[in-house]
Amino acid sequence: MKLSGWKLRDIVVMSSLSVVFAVVYLLFLQIGVVLTGFMGPMGYEVLFGIWFIVSIIAAYILRKPGAALLSEVVAGAVEVLIGNAVGPILILSAFVQGLGAEAVFAATRYRSYSVRTLMLAGIGSAVFSFVWGYFRSGFAALSWDLVLAMFVVRLVSGALLAGLLGRWIADSLARTGVLRSFPIGKERRARHDAPA
Amino acid sequence: MDLRELNPAVKGLAVILCVLLLSFALNPVTPLLTLAATVIVTWSFGRVSWGRWLLLFAPFLLAACSYMAATVLFPRESMAPSPVLLQLGGFEVTRAAAELAASLGLRVLAFSALSLLFILTTDPTRLMLSLMQQCRMPPKLAYGILAGYQFLPLMQEEFRILRTAQRVRDGGFRRSRNPLLQLHRTAIPLLAGAIRKAERVSAAMVSKGFTDSPYRTFYKRVRVTAADWLFLALMVGIVLLSYLAAWRLGYTRLYNGEL
Repeated sequence: MKLSGWKLRDIVVMSSLSVVFAVVYLLFLQIGVVLTGFMGPMGYEVLFGIWFIVSIIAAYILRKPGAALLSEVVAGAVEVLIGNAVGPILILSAFVQGLGAEAVFAATRYRSYSVRTLMLAGIGSAVFSFVWGYFRSGFAALSWDLVLAMFVVRLVSGALLAGLLGRWIADSLARTGVLRSFPIGKERRARHDAPA
Repeated sequence: MDLRELNPAVKGLAVILCVLLLSFALNPVTPLLTLAATVIVTWSFGRVSWGRWLLLFAPFLLAACSYMAATVLFPRESMAPSPVLLQLGGFEVTRAAAELAASLGLRVLAFSALSLLFILTTDPTRLMLSLMQQCRMPPKLAYGILAGYQFLPLMQEEFRILRTAQRVRDGGFRRSRNPLLQLHRTAIPLLAGAIRKAERVSAAMVSKGFTDSPYRTFYKRVRVTAADWLFLALMVGIVLLSYLAAWRLGYTRLYNGEL
């Protein structure tokens, strides 16, 4: 594991984001379990995008190779540290999800952080996590129609709950000024200083 | 053997190996036997309180039941014809569908039991130390995560202060119906506070001489002993024996992502 280009500050900021969202993830896990009780396997799909959000936020703020993947894995690890019954395998799931978003950012060579890219990153996580879930959760036993519907719902959820909501949270944070010394803040200043 | 004293990295590896091995089972017997054995191991070597275990396990019982219901009611058409077990309104429950449902539901429960075994007996700080010392996780990352992890209790406190401050100022915007606005008012200040704290802590760490040198020394060493490998062998043995038992009972079907 090489972390060249990452300062300690970037790592601590990333991991504190991951810690906050690990708590959010666990909350949504409980909501998901309840929803699953009512709606069957579809219950999780509606919410699924929320579990990719830290990838989008960390990548959008830090704009570094690996930010999407690492932040998701750390959030998964913190969820395990806090304690939940999904357990260590959750870190693997987080890895797969983070990889999906990372692949999209890598495809733009870490140059584009537009709305479109962020939504695509959410979709990337959705695709990767669905393939992984297909084998791990035994979707193979469900009817094709249901699996297809679940896939579509997860894609939409990834684009909206991770991509759009994630961008909105990061932009709101940037407006408070705490991100002034990070790439997202620098970009904002460049935009504001530019002559109209 | 005490599960709490085991090396966290090897314990985690054992659990992950069991989960991966179990992923290939598509019969009710293998996960059932593994589930039973895991519960016995947890309760005899883990010093885990029953109440806490059941509390954490219960939600997954619910999820497993709903999963089983979905599998029974919406099966793939390609399933081989088999005798009908019972008739529920318009739905027919066949033996094959019921077996498949039971195997998937029990799989979820076995996964949860394996995970609880790990979580309820592992200390977070020891896990990070073990990841650094056994798995060569970069110290910059490991201590960065631990630093972030320490914010967790602080955040509860901060949340309380935030709510109080908002109530004192009131300003006519006490409770909003709009959930996005509500989220904005609590989540953004909390996150902003977390980022400020993270910057201060990392500056303090660097100024006190924290480096990412791989040649660092540790005050606390987490070692791998024979007991750890014994535990790994025990857990993997349990899964393999469960497969053997299922095979002896005539269940040979494996899960290879059938389409």
